[in-house]
Amino acid sequence: MSFYYILMLASMVILGGSAVYALYWAATRGQFSRMEQGAKVIFDQGEPVGKVTDTFPGLDMEKEQKRRAEKGKKTLKRKV
Amino acid sequence: MPGDAADALERAQVDASCRVPVMLFFASAVFWLVVGTLFGLIASYKLHNPLFIIELSPWLSSLLEKFSPAGTVELINASLTFGRIRPAHLNAVAYGWAAPVGLGVAVWLMARLCRVPLRFPLLVSAAGVLWNIGMFVGIGVLLSGGSTSIEWLEFPPFVSFILFLSFALISIWAVDMFVHRKPGHVYVSQWYIMAALFWFPWLYGTANMLIQLIPAQGSVQAIVNWWYGHNALGLWFTPLGLAAAYYMIPKVIGRPVYSYYLSAFGFWALALFYSWNGGHHLIGGPLPAWLITSSIVASVMMVIPVVVTAINHHMTMKGNFQVLRYSPTLRFVVFGAMSYTLASLQGSSMAFRDLNTVTHFTHYTIGHSHLGLYAFYTMIMFGCIYYIVPRLLGREWVSARLIKIHFWTCAYGIVAMVLILSVGGVIQG
Repeated sequence: MSFYYILMLASMVILGGSAVYALYWAATRGQFSRMEQGAKVIFDQGEPVGKVTDTFPGLDMEKEQKRRAEKGKKTLKRKV
Repeated sequence: MPGDAADALERAQVDASCRVPVMLFFASAVFWLVVGTLFGLIASYKLHNPLFIIELSPWLSSLLEKFSPAGTVELINASLTFGRIRPAHLNAVAYGWAAPVGLGVAVWLMARLCRVPLRFPLLVSAAGVLWNIGMFVGIGVLLSGGSTSIEWLEFPPFVSFILFLSFALISIWAVDMFVHRKPGHVYVSQWYIMAALFWFPWLYGTANMLIQLIPAQGSVQAIVNWWYGHNALGLWFTPLGLAAAYYMIPKVIGRPVYSYYLSAFGFWALALFYSWNGGHHLIGGPLPAWLITSSIVASVMMVIPVVVTAINHHMTMKGNFQVLRYSPTLRFVVFGAMSYTLASLQGSSMAFRDLNTVTHFTHYTIGHSHLGLYAFYTMIMFGCIYYIVPRLLGREWVSARLIKIHFWTCAYGIVAMVLILSVGGVIQG
């Protein structure tokens, strides 16, 4: 039984310690500096900021916008 | 090679490397979702009408008696009792659907965000196979009456061990991916995923140890039970759902998250407060008042990360709500993100003693748990599947109409279910 108690205590120390270390690691490696730049890492030249990357199958958004404009319907005015 | 082509090639390589393991997780998860939903439907019906399929019809019984071993009919009849089918529903949905679909999404997101092809795909696939072996054995044990009778931990120890082992493999793999990532900023979704992959094996291992191997006695067992039960939702499903939302919303609309600072703040606030929440399940129980009160305080403090996340998602979407018309992923994910705010604020309010006196042990709680696990988590996961699968298989979805039907039936269904259960719960209480 004492083996399990030691295991649990050790896991608590390791988990707690790893959380503190993660915070320390992030702070010292610049993860919290220039944060607004960090938000852009999910974009690249192929899928840049401003590009919609998901549509219903078979839907061409540009054509759809033209069609809606011709019919006098509201078109997409996005804030990027 | 021009930059955009090189980026497209890198994404394609990452996606191709994820194909087999991620599709394995998705396919098995959908199977268990269907099975679990069927169990839930039978359990729900039997709760209100216990005489519903109390035994198989005579013609089916005689047919089974002819073609199956003796005792099969009795076993099926016994399996369909509420006491067995209800835990089978919870476990099939939580461990069969929610966990593997989250793992599938986490594996893909980790590969995408580390910007390296999946390392050790065989190991990840083996973990998926192992998990499903555990599920089949576990559900079989529950249906044949072998439940431990402890909510969220109904599987017997040897099944829990299989699931733990499978999960540990994924956690080790995630650390390896993180170490071998391309240099650069660690995106907030990676923080959430890494945390979830660390927290869950620890929670699951500790809870199983304290309940199965060296069982805590008396009311302390209830504390361990709900420490685990609530953390499974808060420190496992919630971080995965939020990791997906923080990636999908900006990525689909092509706009960086409104405030990256708030997203990091939300993560650390969630890490600090969520793990204390389990005690609010035991309000009114024979436990020290300080324990319950500290849990209530932490539950209310959860308003901070929830509101922070809600503001961040709303402000990111602001000016882009029309994209919901065109993107299936965005529809599901935004619905899920809005439900997260609602479910979490409702959860905080339910921790107040006055409201808890009315709602505890009623359908109100069932409504709340489905608002969390279905309207929030499952809807976000559906959105992710719609985004990820075409990229893995190199094929578009067959029908836009079917996706729209899927969305609206899910949305109407869950809204109706939660509203009805909430009103019914208040009347009950």
